[in-house]
Amino acid sequence: MKRIDAVIKPQKLDEVKESLTAIGTTGLTVLEAKGFGRQKGHTELYRGTEYTVDFLPKLFISVVVPDDIVEAAVKAIADSARTGKIGDGKIFVTSLDDVIRIRTGERGRDAI
Amino acid sequence: MASVAYRHPRRWFVKLVIVILFAQWLVGPVIIAHADEPQPDPAGIATGDKTSTSDAGGTSFVVTEPTDKTAPDYGKNKKAFDDFQAQATKEPLVMKLADNVGHLRIATNFTWTLLTGYLVLFMQAGFALLTCGLVRKKNAGHLMMLNFAAYVFAFLAYYVCGFAFQYGGAAINAAPTNLGGTPTLNHFLLGGGLWGFLGGRGFMLSGPGYDAGVLCLTLFEVVFMETAAYIIVGAVCERITFGAFLLCELFMGAILYPSFGCWVWGGGWLSQLGQTMGLAHGYVDFAGSTVVHGVGGFCAMAISVILGPRLGKYGADGKPRAFPAHNLVYVVTGTFILLFGWMGFNPGSTLGSSDLRISVIAVNTNLSACAGAASAMFLWYFIFGKPDITMACNGMLAGLVAITAPCAFVSPNSAVMIGILAGIVVDLGVLFNERVIKVDDPCGAISVHGYAGWLGAVCVGIFADGTYGAGWNGVGATTYLGKAGQGVTGLLHGDHTQFFTQVGGATFMAIYIFGFTYLVFSLVNAVSPMRVSKEVELEGLDVPEFGLPAYPEDEIVNAEPEMARA
Repeated sequence: MKRIDAVIKPQKLDEVKESLTAIGTTGLTVLEAKGFGRQKGHTELYRGTEYTVDFLPKLFISVVVPDDIVEAAVKAIADSARTGKIGDGKIFVTSLDDVIRIRTGERGRDAI
Repeated sequence: MASVAYRHPRRWFVKLVIVILFAQWLVGPVIIAHADEPQPDPAGIATGDKTSTSDAGGTSFVVTEPTDKTAPDYGKNKKAFDDFQAQATKEPLVMKLADNVGHLRIATNFTWTLLTGYLVLFMQAGFALLTCGLVRKKNAGHLMMLNFAAYVFAFLAYYVCGFAFQYGGAAINAAPTNLGGTPTLNHFLLGGGLWGFLGGRGFMLSGPGYDAGVLCLTLFEVVFMETAAYIIVGAVCERITFGAFLLCELFMGAILYPSFGCWVWGGGWLSQLGQTMGLAHGYVDFAGSTVVHGVGGFCAMAISVILGPRLGKYGADGKPRAFPAHNLVYVVTGTFILLFGWMGFNPGSTLGSSDLRISVIAVNTNLSACAGAASAMFLWYFIFGKPDITMACNGMLAGLVAITAPCAFVSPNSAVMIGILAGIVVDLGVLFNERVIKVDDPCGAISVHGYAGWLGAVCVGIFADGTYGAGWNGVGATTYLGKAGQGVTGLLHGDHTQFFTQVGGATFMAIYIFGFTYLVFSLVNAVSPMRVSKEVELEGLDVPEFGLPAYPEDEIVNAEPEMARA
């Protein structure tokens, strides 16, 4: 099993969710986040004084998938979250040691 | 608060005795009501009678008995009165009607004055929203509490002695005839005649103060004092301790505002300069550009200077840093509420709807507000490329402040000009405070109220066109500048003396208010620092000062979070 995390633009959540469920993933966790990548912040003025806006609102989504659909899931997220403009985000794939379902105690692939 | 030190019983007893003696001296005028003094009228039955029946020019229909037996024309006036009395006994119904009409006129004016006073009271909510929205989220509760406590404590100070200091001598030179003249407010504690410095009737609103006409005036004037009181919040917030702030409010309500208010509105020396020194109509301020807003703004400036700027406001290189507003919705809503309340502030200052100039005042006020907002917005856009919402709101308020003194005396075109000037002044003022003199003013209160207030008083001396105010401050009741019925006039209409009087008076206000406040609070600050500690300021004052965050869902709430969650 792998865990796929992604930082995406907030307005892309619905599309990403639809495309992930379409390829058969079950479940999704979403966190509100803020961040920046290689793009620099921009400056704004408040009552004539400059301030920099470094962080932009983002969503951090997390989904656990069986190994056989990892590549499909990564492609689904990337295609649905892409706008072509700076700040689209990143996808991280990490290995998982175990997954447990709290209600029933199931472990491993049955818990996904 | 400092820890309680061991109290020396004898020292406390001596202090108590001194306080009681002082209170007696103040309250003395309350208890003594000589038979030959005008009697107070708490039930309002005797206020407003046939002598209140007057024509449009203000001349009473009824001839009153001359009281000064030593006057040269006493004999003539006495005969006129005797003839009138003889006629009156033949027409009892007419006299009864005159009585009724007189009473009704006063009753209408009471309604007007009280209702416009309630509008001004509502401005408290507007200013609370405005200032709360302009500061950082962690201080939102602190701002609300400052605004709330400002109203409460300044009011109590004004009740104890502020009103008496300001209006205790009003009947002498500035009797509000629209409210029945308040004849019981007839004594100056300091000064006398045309050189009054502090009033001396109406302490604790008792004795001569417990009168229907007086209390109508009190309600109206206390909400004006409250306006000056909350202005200081805009400049001292985010770093002042609650205790120090309460002291500021007591100071404002008890002596700072009433002293200048007495000199300009209570029949005091500044208003009488026309009669004492031939300075046009004396110092004129219709609804309080300087009496209310200038006083608030320059008092705020003095305390802000003593406190110093907020932590992190200025970098090591001296360049200012921005602390963006946390809620622009509050800022704009607050500004609109202030605009609405100003419809009571300016037109209400006639103290009577029998004075039909109220419509001109209302329109002038609105025009200046809009011109101020537009001018501030455009100027900001030309300088910085985007119209700043908070500066647009400040521009509207500056327009309102600047028209407050001249509103009754100018034409609508002049009102627009004044608004345009005010918008420019507030924009440049904010930049000046922040970049040049480095006085930290989170809400722009010093520029909006202090600088624009000074401008407003000066604009009386420029734009007043003489169509209103004949006899203002006892000058030129019949003719002025060679014309019958000519009122308060400014530079553009031929009266340069009024202009210099206005500039002088407004500048004197700035120096006096700043100086007096700076003196008193430098001492206070030396005895007990008025600023919160660095840790408290960084955390935000909501929890350390009041134990309650304005937005608890941002904080970790302890007991039963599931139940307490929003």
